[in-house]
Amino acid sequence: MRIYVKGIGTAGGFGCGVEKLVSALSNGESRTKAVTLGVKGKAEVEAQVFVTDTSALFSFIPKKSLRRINNYSKLALLGASLAIEDSGIKDLDRTRMGIIIASGYGAMNTTFSFLDSVIDEGKDEHASPIHFSNSVHNSAAAHVSILMKIEGPSLTVSQFEMSFPSALLTARRWLEEKRVDSVLLGGVDEFSGVLGYCGQRLFKKDDVSGIKPFEFNKQTAIPGGGAAFFILTRDTDNDSEYCIIEDVSIGKLTTDKISIPEDSYLFIGADGNKISGQKYQHFLNNKNIVAAYSPLYGSFPAAAALDLAVAGVSMKKNRIFASPEYSGLKDGLRIIKEESKINHEKICCLKICDHDEYALIRVSKNNS
Amino acid sequence: MIQGKHIAVSGIECICAAGLNLKDCVDSMFSNIRNVATPSGFSSNHKTVYPVFEIPGSSPFLQNPQIFKTGQLALEAAHGAVKKAGLDKKNLQQKRVGVCIGTTVGSSLNNEKFYQEYRSGKDPDMAPIKRFLRSNPADLIAREYNLSGPCQTIVNACSSGTDAIGIGASWIQAGICDVVIAGGADELCRVTYNGFISLLIVDSSPCRPFDVSRAGLNLGEGAAIFVLESEKSLTERKIAPSAFICGYGSSSDAYHLTAPKPDGAGLKRAITDALEESGVFASDIAFVNAHGTGTENNDRVESMVLDLMLNGVPFHSTKGYTGHTLGASGAIEAAFTSAFLVAGKIPSSIGFSKKDPELHSSPQAENKQIDGNFAISESLAFGGNNSVLVIGRGSEPL
Repeated sequence: MRIYVKGIGTAGGFGCGVEKLVSALSNGESRTKAVTLGVKGKAEVEAQVFVTDTSALFSFIPKKSLRRINNYSKLALLGASLAIEDSGIKDLDRTRMGIIIASGYGAMNTTFSFLDSVIDEGKDEHASPIHFSNSVHNSAAAHVSILMKIEGPSLTVSQFEMSFPSALLTARRWLEEKRVDSVLLGGVDEFSGVLGYCGQRLFKKDDVSGIKPFEFNKQTAIPGGGAAFFILTRDTDNDSEYCIIEDVSIGKLTTDKISIPEDSYLFIGADGNKISGQKYQHFLNNKNIVAAYSPLYGSFPAAAALDLAVAGVSMKKNRIFASPEYSGLKDGLRIIKEESKINHEKICCLKICDHDEYALIRVSKNNS
Repeated sequence: MIQGKHIAVSGIECICAAGLNLKDCVDSMFSNIRNVATPSGFSSNHKTVYPVFEIPGSSPFLQNPQIFKTGQLALEAAHGAVKKAGLDKKNLQQKRVGVCIGTTVGSSLNNEKFYQEYRSGKDPDMAPIKRFLRSNPADLIAREYNLSGPCQTIVNACSSGTDAIGIGASWIQAGICDVVIAGGADELCRVTYNGFISLLIVDSSPCRPFDVSRAGLNLGEGAAIFVLESEKSLTERKIAPSAFICGYGSSSDAYHLTAPKPDGAGLKRAITDALEESGVFASDIAFVNAHGTGTENNDRVESMVLDLMLNGVPFHSTKGYTGHTLGASGAIEAAFTSAFLVAGKIPSSIGFSKKDPELHSSPQAENKQIDGNFAISESLAFGGNNSVLVIGRGSEPL
């Protein structure tokens, strides 16, 4: 079954909303911020990361309602609010709407705040109930459903890099089963200093600036956080959609033969991580024109949702955006070097994870 | 909601404090035994010691320090379920097999020792982080069996296991997979222990679901795995199903992060949707395995909704035998429900002895014979999730 993307809400290092994303795509630029990883004054390391300013959320939800809501849930609320606003659908029936959130790591910072509440005084009885209840992975989906009065099923998925594609698979099933009439689907991950520190310890970064998604043999990942949300439906009202999601297939590189149509652009989810990056090389040929947009939003699991957002925006604007960074690309391969009018009807978003699992999301223009 | 096919279950296995396999669990529950004790796997400095339902750390399947206990529980239950289904690694690799597992702790990076060292400025040993990265329960099972289908770890708090089975069944329904290994797994740990105590919803005595004196839940741990299989695959293998997943319903309260909506609207909708998808009438339901945690709010809302929607249908809570196993509980209770349908009886709601005059209905206080081919298993969760499975009777699942 085809599903239609009616609205998109994005937030990341590039700013908030689809227009900020388009602006970053057109300029090939997005901002990182210097942070200290490790503990200040002790094992500290300066690093660049992509962080998201969630202050735009106050234009959707009163500050009072957000008092006890953490950054992870704020990111989700911001993405969700932007997507609903962007859809322009005034009579969205929220009793028939489902919500699915994909996150690689969940509310990391609140989990550590909860541990702080116990460690600080050395007393287990000082454990914070607020931090505990907000550290649960599905707290973001809960806050979205509560504040936006969404009464359909709610699901949170955590499958590292495959979180978003696997969540999309379930969103599609809910629409097929007529369990709901629309799905608010989002990918969310927040930046956490602890996670950034772990990344530095586990993966030695090569001495290059910026993410180099096509330098497959180098570790160039820059951590970050952000969100991309989508309003999905099974019905169309002509051409108001961003795009049609034709298919999502998930499988193993070792057993499946991945078929990427020749008449489609290929957006790869390579994000400067060497282990998964090397696996993309086999899918680059001289048939598909490729791009990788991770240099605009950073390396984090839910960024797969931002890849789909770029595909949707490209289809709706009828523009294909330059891949912001392509050093290391082998000769003979075709890359989107300049923004131009779209020439193909399809875009494939390919995500590969360390364990040889892949997901391919096929998107097409709505020409109805 | 489209009425779906009843999805066959070819194998079920379950591990929890009630028993290390489904048969032992069922036998101990019908003998009204509960294995509740003070925590032995971790220490705490609370003034009160809160009892838990633990799986012995000496169990042979819990000896791999490379992965979380949650993952080890999930793997052990998966091995049992796959074996009961008459499958093995080799023939699973010839099919399109997906994995869908619910958990809470199994997806949490919350190692206290690592974090304590990190925040004191040391460079801690990275082993706990590596362990976390290799312990995602759905990934773990897929890697163990070298499976090629979709993989999903559901982190929907206490309804995770129910949701995983419902979604796994949907993958079979859609023809995405020939087989889905679905269920839930969760371990006891200090973080959840401290967290639930901080919420003031943990009983310092063995829990008493639906009882007038109930004072909260006890935590537990375990795993249950279902092998869901397409009709075509089952027919080819000439296997009699152990149970059927007939319908799944889920909805949000959109009300509060930790408390259920007082009017039970979300739970009512989940029951309605599950029955609608199954094509089964409320009058065909032989019994309900309630979420029945023993907390004030949960039991009030659940008893009201059961009285309203399934009036007169016997119900019980098995949490008095297992504790609240969080992300595993929905799958564990679905496993019990499947077994009780075949046994034609349900065990008493242990811990319940005195009716609460404020509750609309009460659970079975004694073991009870039941008659019918369908039952309901319910899960309510943090975040206001309500998830319900309609389960059909198969042949011997033990």
